[in-house]
Amino acid sequence: MSMMKNYVVETIRKAQMVQLLANGKRLDERALDQPRELKIETGVIPKANGSARVTLGNTEVIAGVKIATGIPFPDTPDKGILMVNAEILPMSSPYAEAGPPSEDAIELARVTDRGIRESEMVDMGKLSLIPGKTVIAVFVDCNVMNVDGNLFDATSYAVVSALRTAKMKKYVIKDDKVEATDELIPVPVETTPVSVTIARIGDRLVVDPNAEEEASMDMRITITTDDNGNICASQKGEASTITPEQVLQAADVSIKVGKAIRAQIIEATK
Amino acid sequence: MPMIQRRQVIPGDVVAKGNYRFGSYIERHGDEYVALRVGIAEILRDEIKLSPLTGPYLPRTDDEVIGKVVDVNGFGWVVDINSCFDGFLPASFVFGRDFSPATHDLSSKFKVGDIIGTRIESFERSRDPQLSIRGQGYGKIESGEIVKISPTKVPRIIGRRGAMINLINERTGCDIKVGQNGVVVVDGSPEGIVKAVKAIRLVEEETRAPDLISKVEEALGGSAVGGI
Repeated sequence: MSMMKNYVVETIRKAQMVQLLANGKRLDERALDQPRELKIETGVIPKANGSARVTLGNTEVIAGVKIATGIPFPDTPDKGILMVNAEILPMSSPYAEAGPPSEDAIELARVTDRGIRESEMVDMGKLSLIPGKTVIAVFVDCNVMNVDGNLFDATSYAVVSALRTAKMKKYVIKDDKVEATDELIPVPVETTPVSVTIARIGDRLVVDPNAEEEASMDMRITITTDDNGNICASQKGEASTITPEQVLQAADVSIKVGKAIRAQIIEATK
Repeated sequence: MPMIQRRQVIPGDVVAKGNYRFGSYIERHGDEYVALRVGIAEILRDEIKLSPLTGPYLPRTDDEVIGKVVDVNGFGWVVDINSCFDGFLPASFVFGRDFSPATHDLSSKFKVGDIIGTRIESFERSRDPQLSIRGQGYGKIESGEIVKISPTKVPRIIGRRGAMINLINERTGCDIKVGQNGVVVVDGSPEGIVKAVKAIRLVEEETRAPDLISKVEEALGGSAVGGI
């Protein structure tokens, strides 16, 4: 992240990191393909339709879901609306600033949104009430509370967990009008997308980079997979290039790591 | 040994009444001495001291600090000294009086990311602290493990007349540099570094333990490793 470019890794620390990586080790004693400890807490915002607080190591993200009715987009008259937004709070890092969303916050929101959207996690067809007139709109807002690298994955897990536990009002159609009932039903969730970010430092690929590793990486790739292990979205960042072999290697790792994380998310959002 | 009285205080507490010499974080009102921080007040025979439980590093002239170069410009280096102020090391302090931005290459001396041992040359609150590397033992630190501790705990790491730091050095064979700003660099054999870092973390956690030094001694194990 360009925000983390402001963070200077000490020369001697970076030398240690590179030396350890050459032996397949990391500064925090993780294996190259081992993500940090993931903790998921749901229902943290009582007034939201759904919410989750996720910590991935020291990175912390809160997501909230708001569900209302709205007018569909003209090109998808029979589909619901899904919007994922993310903000990096100024308190979360010495390098985050208040004001309009930074480049990083915009990329974060778009990459997270893409993972949820392209995996077809939420069945948008089921969110249609009166085609062309009224549909259900799902808004997910994320706030990054603490930055210690890999905001992409932490935010994605928070959104997925919040959506999996979200409850919305059941709407009925009476005389061509939409009416809300008191009955609460879950959001139609079809799959559980899991995003896995992999950074390259030197010639090594590491899963779930922390802030130090992000400040030292020359390339990163975020790959989202669905329940069947299909890749549904990806984003490559930073200036350096990636070889076709590394793309395949990263894809394999993200499917493997994603499987374990998916099981954890499902367990936490039962 | 004079009677030492120790007491926990919060801001506004009257630490003592009478006539004493007093250090930082204490204010005198008439004959009352008032604490300005949450911490432990030490009342000696003719002196009172307050060590805050926590807090940022506030630069003081002649403090030895360990900093990280975060920027290089035409006139010097901007150094992160783990404080709310960035230190500035002017190029003329390093290259001498005949320094000129046209002829001297600052990056050849210190690069962004380098760790340097420096001394605070001068500091007043209206300007960033000025650093200097003149003197023995200052300058770039080439290797070692960086450990950050709370700046308020630096005196405990050093110990009475350097007792703690000497003990850790003796038992692990590591060279330990402690900056007043809470940055510690430990250098030695890989096993020695692991032990020394553990000992430093122990000191940090158990700062208020009564017989800290024997606790650390116990944790480090009996025999001296020495000179590896």
